[in-house]
Amino acid sequence: MKKVLLIFLAILIVPSISFGQTSSDTCSATDSATPISASGVFAVSAVNGTAPNPICPDNTNSASNGEWYRYTPSDDYFVTVTTNLTQNSGKDTRVHIYTGTCASLQCLAGNDDVGPTNYLSTVYFSVTAGETYYIAWDNFWGVSSFDFELIESYSPPTVSFTTSTISAPGTDRGAVDMNGDFLDDIVSISTSTIYVNEQQSGGGFVLKNYPLAGGTYSASWSMAAGDFDRNGYNDLVYGNSSGAHVVKANSTGTGYSIAATSHSVFTQRTNFADFDNDGNLDIFLCDDTAPNEYFINDGTSLTLWEGDNPSAPIPGGLGVYSSGGNYGSVWIDYDNDGDSDLFIAKCGGEEARRRNHLFRNNGNLSFTEVSTTANMDDALSTWSSAWGDYDSDGDMDCFVGSSLSSESHKMMRNDNGIFVDATTSFGLDVFNDYGHENQPFDFNNDGYIDIFSNGNILLNNGNGTFGIISAGIPQEGAVGDLNNDGFLDVFNSSIYYNNGNGNHWINIELVGVASNINGIGARIEVSSPSFNNASSKKAQIRDVRSAQGFAYMSTLNTHFGLGSDTTINTITIYWPSGTVDVVVSPSVDQSIRITEGETLSLETTLTDDLILYPNPTKGKLNINTTYGLENAVYSVFDITGKRVLNDRMSTNTIDVSELSSGNYILRIINNGLIKTQKFIKQ
Amino acid sequence: MFKPYTYIALLLTLSLFASCTKDDGYVGVDPELISPVVFNIDSLPYDNLSEYNFFEGNIADLNPVYGVLPYGLNSALFSDYANKKRFVWMPKDSTAKYVNDYTTFDFPVGTILIKNFYYDNVLPDMSTKIIETRLMIKLEDDWTFANYVWNEEQTDATFTTQSKFLAFDWELNGETKSVNYKIPGFPECFTCHNKYDTPLPIGPKPQNINRNYLYPEGSKNQLAKWVEQGYLEDNYPSEIKSLVEWDDESQPLDLRVRSYFDINCAHCHSDQSYCEYASMRFEFNKTEDISNLGVCVESVFYINPSITHIVNPGITQRSALFFRISSDEDQYKMPLIGRTLNHIEGIELIEEWINSLTQNCN
Repeated sequence: MKKVLLIFLAILIVPSISFGQTSSDTCSATDSATPISASGVFAVSAVNGTAPNPICPDNTNSASNGEWYRYTPSDDYFVTVTTNLTQNSGKDTRVHIYTGTCASLQCLAGNDDVGPTNYLSTVYFSVTAGETYYIAWDNFWGVSSFDFELIESYSPPTVSFTTSTISAPGTDRGAVDMNGDFLDDIVSISTSTIYVNEQQSGGGFVLKNYPLAGGTYSASWSMAAGDFDRNGYNDLVYGNSSGAHVVKANSTGTGYSIAATSHSVFTQRTNFADFDNDGNLDIFLCDDTAPNEYFINDGTSLTLWEGDNPSAPIPGGLGVYSSGGNYGSVWIDYDNDGDSDLFIAKCGGEEARRRNHLFRNNGNLSFTEVSTTANMDDALSTWSSAWGDYDSDGDMDCFVGSSLSSESHKMMRNDNGIFVDATTSFGLDVFNDYGHENQPFDFNNDGYIDIFSNGNILLNNGNGTFGIISAGIPQEGAVGDLNNDGFLDVFNSSIYYNNGNGNHWINIELVGVASNINGIGARIEVSSPSFNNASSKKAQIRDVRSAQGFAYMSTLNTHFGLGSDTTINTITIYWPSGTVDVVVSPSVDQSIRITEGETLSLETTLTDDLILYPNPTKGKLNINTTYGLENAVYSVFDITGKRVLNDRMSTNTIDVSELSSGNYILRIINNGLIKTQKFIKQ
Repeated sequence: MFKPYTYIALLLTLSLFASCTKDDGYVGVDPELISPVVFNIDSLPYDNLSEYNFFEGNIADLNPVYGVLPYGLNSALFSDYANKKRFVWMPKDSTAKYVNDYTTFDFPVGTILIKNFYYDNVLPDMSTKIIETRLMIKLEDDWTFANYVWNEEQTDATFTTQSKFLAFDWELNGETKSVNYKIPGFPECFTCHNKYDTPLPIGPKPQNINRNYLYPEGSKNQLAKWVEQGYLEDNYPSEIKSLVEWDDESQPLDLRVRSYFDINCAHCHSDQSYCEYASMRFEFNKTEDISNLGVCVESVFYINPSITHIVNPGITQRSALFFRISSDEDQYKMPLIGRTLNHIEGIELIEEWINSLTQNCN
């Protein structure tokens, strides 16, 4: 972070001349002083005026004294105010940026520290010509004199954010829709209240306080969202070291009640996912000190299961090391077979306790731990991972974020289901900020998915390398589009609005019918002129996930940057039910809502070409077709349409011995084509 | 397998060699005392605390029977202001061994460590309330945990492996305080009490036992008493680098702080422990090097933008350690397990210490 900033500073021509504007001791005194009206360096010689109030940075302690400036820009600019100048080395400043009048100041932005080891301050914000802004410094950390620079620019940095304050009581946890309009809201939690700052369709937020009766456990360690009772309003799961609550929204999204509780879990990452694939969202709870727990949702009730249990839906459990060590679970489809696999970032204790887990979903309600064969069983100290197709080759790679400066982050490239350490070739061996939070999103909408990691954006250059950008965002937070402009923002205490750029985008909102209503677990593929399966950059892919990273719940909408592409060929949704929807040629730069089954599916080829034998069969089905089946995924549906088997083809034979007797349909998807054929299991 | 044996409730018996009477004119040998503790290693844990027969008279008075030896620690863990009464019992002819100053004694099979958690002046009637009695029992291979929760009538306590919250008010130094006391479940006991998944007691190390205790017959060094009782081999060194009482203001500040950190933090922040992966090493024998306490060590785990170091000398508000020890929020507070309240006096001690540091981290 520091390196980037130093380079940034080195290329600036630092003006040596002083400007006429001097600081004032009060806000109102600036109104009769000469305002700042252009870029420049300004000297603060004493901090002995009135302390700024309200406090704008995240460190909300009051100072005893401050110094004030007024700023009136002559044009619309992106503005940087910084004390991160060589002459200030070793000093410790804090800055507040206000709009409004001195009688009624509103925080626009604020910053205490540039970074963990640099106590100077840098703040980014955008301004409107002719408006008045106030810049105030304080002496909270004892500083008495320093210089600051104000830089006006017409173009934002590659990725940059403008901070904006918001009142969000409780523990900050989510940027996700709660009131059913698919606009991301801001969610914060106390034990007795669910706070929802509802994003308004015209911009801005309205805070709603929903009391929660009987709330015992805080959202200290994580929160996830999903509509498990499919009433159109997202529900929540969150917890602390003593237990976890599942909290459900009422039928109008205007009240919340506790639907289920675990009193036994030391909660870490929580997720909604339909891991028994019955169309109802289940809930996964990572346990720090014991085997993991999960709630199975049968459509009418939630049943809690702990660890392994022969009578449980998943008898072997999902991560059953006796003393736990489970931190960051995420449901991803690493083997491109259309069902959700589970990766768990683990940490602490002996090596066996902290080796990461990868569970492969076998598509028949069973899971196989493949950590070692897939080369994903690293024992590094990690609390979360970020999964995305970082090399645009059509499968999910994994950034495993280290929590410790003594251990390196790992970028694991997915080579057909086996992972290869490609940290160095991706240029991430030099990334040295560590922590708990890693989330994959495309922040600059260039079509290459980036990583929000510990206060940085690891910016995917699209050529197999990453740049490391300190972009004025917090160390961690929830990601969503909080002003509905197609660029992803960050929430943690304040909102960090993405300043955006000229790139195009599409935002996809799913409504499941046979699948869970959020479409969690769906694979979405967007094909556009620059990203399609006929080019070297494959169609972009996302899994719909609840949730990613360690503690926060980021948007359930699925966001794709498109770079300079102004058209989209297709959006393909592979729903967890097995349904496939294809939207042809949607417009760019919009949110598009796709309801399961509403579109034409993939092109279906003549079934004459798909010969199954023996048919009827007792165990094996042999497949005879003129097409190659190298990348094929097969699914078997029963007569109710429920998917009962799902996997990638490894040979031309499918084992159906575990199915009960009856009529079934085999479907094979290969290279964007569907083939189906009936068969009978004896 | 270990051969089971049972001590039945014989309070006093005469040794075979003490058969002479006064009239013989021989010097009498003291009768050998036998502990009445009921210990059948194959039947553990018992359903009820009373079945061990640790205490005589009214069980809630915690008057130990012969062989159940009370002990105290130089510095004790803060547990939401709960008072503690600790006892140790060992089978006949079993002896613990000194390993080194800072390692838990090598206790013999059958050792039971008994720790009672109670509050005085519990409201409304200002009564004494025993909450729980936690046992650690040394089996053939490993230590095992057995926790007993006291009934409302204070007539016995029942075995449990589940955690439970208990909310009540009590008076402390004339001030009414409230606690939602947490009785730990097995995973919580285990999380603090293990090294790489092998369970281990924390308190009874020579460095934390080496102090005087006021026994009924008078004050005596606990190690000497344990030897006298036959509970410890008499081969420990005369000099033991020991913890001080963290609240003994006559002691140097750094020793008080290091003692506090050892007993409150080191069970997780040490090699082979739950939070081994973080860089701090809080054991008393490792904290002469204050970088092991996090002094001038950058804070990696995000708390808020102000926090820069684990301990930033002179600046508590930039010190993660101070933030965590002052927080009662679950995701920030340290210790992570075993407290829901802030330890005001402990926080003051840490604050005084951080303010006394003058290192320049740059």
